[in-house]
Amino acid sequence: MSLLALDRVDLGHGTQVVLPDLSLTFEAGERVALLGQSGAGKSTLLAEIRRRLDHAAAWCPQGHGLVPLLSVYHNVYMGRLERHRALTNLINLLKPRRDAWKEIEQLVGELGLEGLLRRPVEQLSGGQRQRVAIARALYQQRSVFLGDEPLASVDPHQARRLLECIQARHATCIIALHQHRLALDHFDRVIGLRDGQVVLDAPTRELTLASLDALYPDAGPSHHEAGVVAST
Amino acid sequence: MNPAPGLLRGRSPGLTLARRSLALILLCLLLLPLADLRIIAVDPWGELWRMAVGFAWPDFMALESPLRAIALTVSVALWGTFIGAILGFPLALLFHRSRLVRSFCAFVRAIHELFWALLFLQVFGLSAVTALAALAIPYAGIFAKVYAEILELTPRAPGDALPSGVDRLSRFLYAELPLVWERLASYTRYRFECAMRASVLLGFVGLPTLGFYLESAFREGRFGEAGALLWIFYALVATLHWWGHRRLLVPLLIGALFFLGPWPDVDGELLWRFVSHDLWPSPLLEGDLPGLGAWLAGLPELLPAIGNTLLLALMGTVGSLLLALLLWPLASRHFGRPWLGFGGRMLLVVMRSTPELMLAFILLLMLGPSMLPAWLALALHNGALIAFLVARHADGLTLGMPDLPASGRYAYELLPRLYPNLLALVCYRAEVIMRETALLGMLGVATLGFYIDSAFQYLMFDQAFFLLLVTAVLNIAIDAISRRFRPREVPLDDPCSR
Repeated sequence: MSLLALDRVDLGHGTQVVLPDLSLTFEAGERVALLGQSGAGKSTLLAEIRRRLDHAAAWCPQGHGLVPLLSVYHNVYMGRLERHRALTNLINLLKPRRDAWKEIEQLVGELGLEGLLRRPVEQLSGGQRQRVAIARALYQQRSVFLGDEPLASVDPHQARRLLECIQARHATCIIALHQHRLALDHFDRVIGLRDGQVVLDAPTRELTLASLDALYPDAGPSHHEAGVVAST
Repeated sequence: MNPAPGLLRGRSPGLTLARRSLALILLCLLLLPLADLRIIAVDPWGELWRMAVGFAWPDFMALESPLRAIALTVSVALWGTFIGAILGFPLALLFHRSRLVRSFCAFVRAIHELFWALLFLQVFGLSAVTALAALAIPYAGIFAKVYAEILELTPRAPGDALPSGVDRLSRFLYAELPLVWERLASYTRYRFECAMRASVLLGFVGLPTLGFYLESAFREGRFGEAGALLWIFYALVATLHWWGHRRLLVPLLIGALFFLGPWPDVDGELLWRFVSHDLWPSPLLEGDLPGLGAWLAGLPELLPAIGNTLLLALMGTVGSLLLALLLWPLASRHFGRPWLGFGGRMLLVVMRSTPELMLAFILLLMLGPSMLPAWLALALHNGALIAFLVARHADGLTLGMPDLPASGRYAYELLPRLYPNLLALVCYRAEVIMRETALLGMLGVATLGFYIDSAFQYLMFDQAFFLLLVTAVLNIAIDAISRRFRPREVPLDDPCSR
């Protein structure tokens, strides 16, 4: 079943076209990894997919998009802000809702943030913030997960665990990332972007680490390690 | 090989700023002969000596009811700021959308707190309403502008991360307000400090705050008492971060209610008559246009007053610029020994906490009623304030070559990096200086404020109101000019400079 089809569209911001003449289809139930250097057009593509899927997709943005002054609880709660009335949201700022608190406490616990619910996000480490951003996206409870480098600031071991957590809840996911090993192990399909062009679109079983290195022209063959460093 | 360029030749941004500043200083020097800078007092040094003695040996026992005056000063400042913030915040939300709101805010903040007090005094008498309105109204305009500027800088990312369909209020409360809360709070705190000074000044029009006792003590030559009051005021400002802590805010606000007063009996009819009739020239109300000409002819000579106001503002601005350039190393860690730095910082804090009118008043007692004391007061107060901010900026910088001699550090390492910011601060202050210039007229310097003050004294409210409008227009014009003049590349991240 087709989830979304882009047919010869020009994508960009304002008048500036980043991805010209783009054609891509995504299937429901498909796990897609987006690879490519920074500036290759991954974020532009994800923004367009997010726009088209609207309420069907949970969204985990690049750079987290968290509010530093608010607590972990409130940041995660923001994932469902549109489902409550303004007054409810206002009261929740002053006194957390009991049902939401319980649900978020459990969710956050699964991601390894036990006991941090009250802590302002500004006091968390980079990796902890990353997990709060993922928790917020999971809390949205959508059928599709869209992530723009949601695993950028965690170590490889944690990245694997978080990805498993995301995929256990979302049959369909489209995630931009830099870790090639993860892309090959946990996804069905890899789309590679370079300079605004789709240069690779293949099922992961047909791919090897070496074939992914071609996406990064400036780096040597062992790039999949350097990519992790560069993105943190 | 090219020859070395001549004096001030070149197109680097630093040279552009230097040329601009020198032109401003030159203009001031050219116009200086027009200013009345006589020393009229008989024995200025003796007077200064007696004041210094009073300051060094303050006479706390002579004070009658200092606690009441302190409580009233703090209460007025607290509630004035609070009401100003409450009124200013919704205006800030509309600020960039409505020209009407922008002009309204520009108008209310162009008139100094004390002039507002004089206006409300006619209706509400010597009451808490006069004091609060005098602070809250101009502050609402200032808050609206600065809050709007802060809100404009809200980071976008958290808002973009929200799911679609979130209502405007929730979006604002969750993804916008918390991101700028710290900045809003810190500016409000700074404004409260200004309100403390303004609250003291309200004593000059007769409200029984600290300024009332200060003025009478100075006027009657009881310098020991005046010294004691000044010490109390400095102590209040210096311990502000301690007693003005945000946890104490609610108890303070509630407690302050008990000290505010007296509350006036407002006669609605009288109020309406004042607003609809007394403030306007009677020929205008009667539709008698030729009579309006006669009314205008009956005004005091406006041109010399406007000329004096502008000249004093120019002199004050240039004086602040020069003093700031001289003074900032005093408070910076890059110069001198630690104890010297501490002393310098204390000196700057004292100079910037002293209300400018107070400073002018003291200098006026010393030197007599010419433009000289007014000029010195404006330059000292604003120069010290700018020097303090510049020194703080300098302390955040790391030197590339810390072993240079002091002059080298000043001229090559620090000043080139600090000067754009310093000049931008001076330009921001120009508007404030302009407002204070008019105000100094209340002390007898022949600026517009002098005529406003006398028009109020003779109960010619139509004249007073017209002159107030003239000062407001002048202020708005100066603000526009200084905005053009100020270096554009500097991001002024410190809203407290305004």
